[in-house]
Amino acid sequence: MTAPVAALGRGTARQISQVGALARFFRDTVTSWRTLPRAGRRVARRIFANQVWFTAVQAVPLVIVLGSILSYLVISQAVRELGRLNATALIGTLMVVAIVRELGPLLTALIVAGRSGTAIATELATNTVMGEVHALEGMGIDPLHYLVLPRFLAGIVSVFCLIVLFDNVAIAAGWLAAAAQGMSSARYFDIVLRSLGARDVWLTVLKGLVFGAIVGTVPSFEGLRVRGGPTGVPVSASRAVVESILAIFLGSALFVALAT
Amino acid sequence: MTPPLAFDAVPLGAADAAFSLTVTPHAVTTVVGDAASGVGGLAALALGMTRPTAGRALVFGEDVAAMPRRQVLAFRRRVGYVPAGGGLLQNLSLADNVALPLRFGSALSHREIAGRLRMMLALGGLADAGALRPAAADEELRRRASVVRALAFDPELVLLDRPFDGVSARVAGDLLQLLRGGEGGGGSRRTIFITAQDVPDRLRPRIDARWRVVRGVLQADQ
Repeated sequence: MTAPVAALGRGTARQISQVGALARFFRDTVTSWRTLPRAGRRVARRIFANQVWFTAVQAVPLVIVLGSILSYLVISQAVRELGRLNATALIGTLMVVAIVRELGPLLTALIVAGRSGTAIATELATNTVMGEVHALEGMGIDPLHYLVLPRFLAGIVSVFCLIVLFDNVAIAAGWLAAAAQGMSSARYFDIVLRSLGARDVWLTVLKGLVFGAIVGTVPSFEGLRVRGGPTGVPVSASRAVVESILAIFLGSALFVALAT
Repeated sequence: MTPPLAFDAVPLGAADAAFSLTVTPHAVTTVVGDAASGVGGLAALALGMTRPTAGRALVFGEDVAAMPRRQVLAFRRRVGYVPAGGGLLQNLSLADNVALPLRFGSALSHREIAGRLRMMLALGGLADAGALRPAAADEELRRRASVVRALAFDPELVLLDRPFDGVSARVAGDLLQLLRGGEGGGGSRRTIFITAQDVPDRLRPRIDARWRVVRGVLQADQ
């Protein structure tokens, strides 16, 4: 009779324990900066640069394409429909609130989670399964220093930069869409810039940092706690992406709840 | 004189039998046993990577498992370690693998590291293979690289788990010679502790102390 309740309780306790383990991992990663040996910083910087190259630079075309298509579609439809109601002034709010502040950070973080989160989790899970993490420990190299910290920082920098890119591309594509619907450039930029406040900029910046930290932490966490040998690697990658996406959506909802 | 390595009643293997052994300095010591004997975990115990549920493992008289994390990492750099399989990083070349401990944990300049790396690769018979990734190298080259990497800081003590798996007796002999690092202190210059399931017959005369764990009991390996 009580078995289902007990099973539910066990499952919940396991989930809470995992969140706690993830929180401890995040804290250890952040504080590991203080103990990184001076010589190790050179190596960590090189890994950081490689990760930024893969996570940010190589994702630029994808972000440009998605940002411009999304913005073009939304703004061209909005100009047409709102024009009928003589309410084209609202496209500024639409652009800033819906695209720059909400969809830009959300979609960018999802792109990075899907693209680089999988790669990070797979790489670290393989490192673990192949005994490389054990070997690093044996050499006196903290895996947090060598594997996690550079990827964590690269995740933050990459997501932040890509969000800035996405938002700028979206504004530019919106301008093209508005122009195609007959709106003058001066009016478009006047509407958009009047709707854009300092609070929107700060919220976007903050989201970039938080989403970047999620993408930099969750895949490393899942990669390093892989179980079951080589067959655990894809499981680990899958869990990393699912958990990252969930955390990004929860984070986004939390931002909306706190900011409104 | 403090022994370089000592196990004091640590539970070992499925039998959880108390294992005690003091390793003689400047000697090559082997402890062999089947997979269930737990001998493969002795090096990890010594380096504090796994904590014994009872007893102590002492390296140079220090209980590594009881040290704070930062101190543990610095301490491990004093000891060479070759895990089972070698533990080479697959995304680095053999040369970069060998250089990694120096690049990460020493104050040497780029030039000094490059010079030392050239010397180490030549010593390990890897002079022409440094650019290969582990996946592109054969087992012998991978074994050589993992042994040379363990010697990066010229340690007094080297711990190895199954270092001769997959290589010929000749190569195993070469590796052992490399590990000894010449003669000193009335024997090998370094203290070498090897765990394995077995040791090639040809190597036995060159091993100073041979032990075997049978059903949890440590006995001399004849």
